Amino acid sequence: MEVGEYLLPDDLWYHKEHFWVKLDGDVATVGVTDFFQKLAGEISYLELPSEGDEYSADDVVGTVETGKWVGKIYCPISGTITEVNSEALDDPAIVNRDPYGNGWLFKLKTSDLSELEKLLKGESALKWQEEEIRKKAK
Amino acid sequence: MYLFTLNRMPDLLSMVIFHELAREGIEALVIVSPEKPMISVGYFQDVFQEINLDYLKKTGLPLFRREIGGGTTYLDENQIFYQVIYSPKDRKLPQTIKQAYEVLSQPPLRAHERLGIKARFREVNDLVTESGKKIGGEGGANIGQCMVFVGSMLMDFDYYTMSRVAKIPDEKWRDKVYKSLEENLTTMKRELGELPDRREVQEILIEEFRKILGPLEKAELPRDFLRRAKGLELKMQSPDFLYGKKKKEVASLKIKSGLNLIFGQHKARGGLIRTIQEVNGPPEGGMIQGLSISGDFTLIPKESLKEGLELSIVGSRREKYELLPRIAKFMDSRDKEMPGVTTEDILLSLGLKK
Repeated sequence: MEVGEYLLPDDLWYHKEHFWVKLDGDVATVGVTDFFQKLAGEISYLELPSEGDEYSADDVVGTVETGKWVGKIYCPISGTITEVNSEALDDPAIVNRDPYGNGWLFKLKTSDLSELEKLLKGESALKWQEEEIRKKAK
Repeated sequence: MYLFTLNRMPDLLSMVIFHELAREGIEALVIVSPEKPMISVGYFQDVFQEINLDYLKKTGLPLFRREIGGGTTYLDENQIFYQVIYSPKDRKLPQTIKQAYEVLSQPPLRAHERLGIKARFREVNDLVTESGKKIGGEGGANIGQCMVFVGSMLMDFDYYTMSRVAKIPDEKWRDKVYKSLEENLTTMKRELGELPDRREVQEILIEEFRKILGPLEKAELPRDFLRRAKGLELKMQSPDFLYGKKKKEVASLKIKSGLNLIFGQHKARGGLIRTIQEVNGPPEGGMIQGLSISGDFTLIPKESLKEGLELSIVGSRREKYELLPRIAKFMDSRDKEMPGVTTEDILLSLGLKK
């Protein structure tokens, strides 16, 4: 679906710091939302976690730099990192070009799928995104 | 929100303070200058690739990696730094990066105006004069649970030292770096004809920040806080943090927003090729408006370097598909010889992948 000028695919879970989660079995793929990348501007550098690292939900796992800002990358759900997008490390602007596709950040083997309840999906994601636009994208 | 008017502080500590305040969640406006010159690199910069470490060693200039982005900066007591540390939970203050720049750039802009220099914000993160010369730089980050917005007011600037600090492939290009800095960067001293009074600049700046941030409580840094800040300074000086970042791009020096000097070198079979490119716009895809090529390769006649090869590249976007046919046309021409050097070698010397 589209919320204003921002894409927000229906089939994903969303973390309030503007990260998305796509689940395949117990492996979660994580990326940033269209809203995140548009507000951040062109991403010039990424620092991502290493394979094998274990994180809890809401942990800071990396860093993102644009011309204006150095921000944090959060882990939306607990687990162990299984893969990092090396293409995004080589060409961080891919995250701007394709945030829900080739611009994914990392994959992790989840350790507690019940945490999905804390993430947003469907109607709740839509309401949250509308509120974020109202507050931050004026 | 606290106000820490720190004046001149020991060099590295002057830049560590705002990192520690943010880590501890202490909302504040900090006004400070390093008492001695120092070099600060951006969070992601590769110092081996971009910094003339031999020069730093020879001169004793300390090196600091900030948790703010951007490129290499030279800092000294003639620059006044403002650092705003605040919680994003404070709904009265900017919530997004865009808002932070829009709102928090206003105090230094108004301060410049009150001092007699009309300035404006220019994307991505510069304060520029009416003639478009940079007179201040800004940046930001999320550190700890805080948003941090920082910037500088250039009362005066040491162009010479800054021009020595960047690592460039060919020393004879130092003058180009110096001239580019001098042409594109100005200072209050240059604009006003004299160095302004430091105290007056600080007071005006604080007054303008008060209009945006609200009441500011003057405070001094407690001794135990300074001890913790010294601890953080040690961590930020650890070799892992200072030297551990590796980036894959070619070396570059940002002169001002939208203008970069990009340095490249490549060892071809026919010899080493070094390049310095003046790029208007982003490093990838910006316009190459100036270029010098040097090295120990053979090119006959030698005049075809400037009149042929360099000329074929200048005016192109720095993008391999646009450069490839231009370079190939020169390389395929029969009125020159360049043994052991291919079109791909030239692309690689420009820092572009095959």
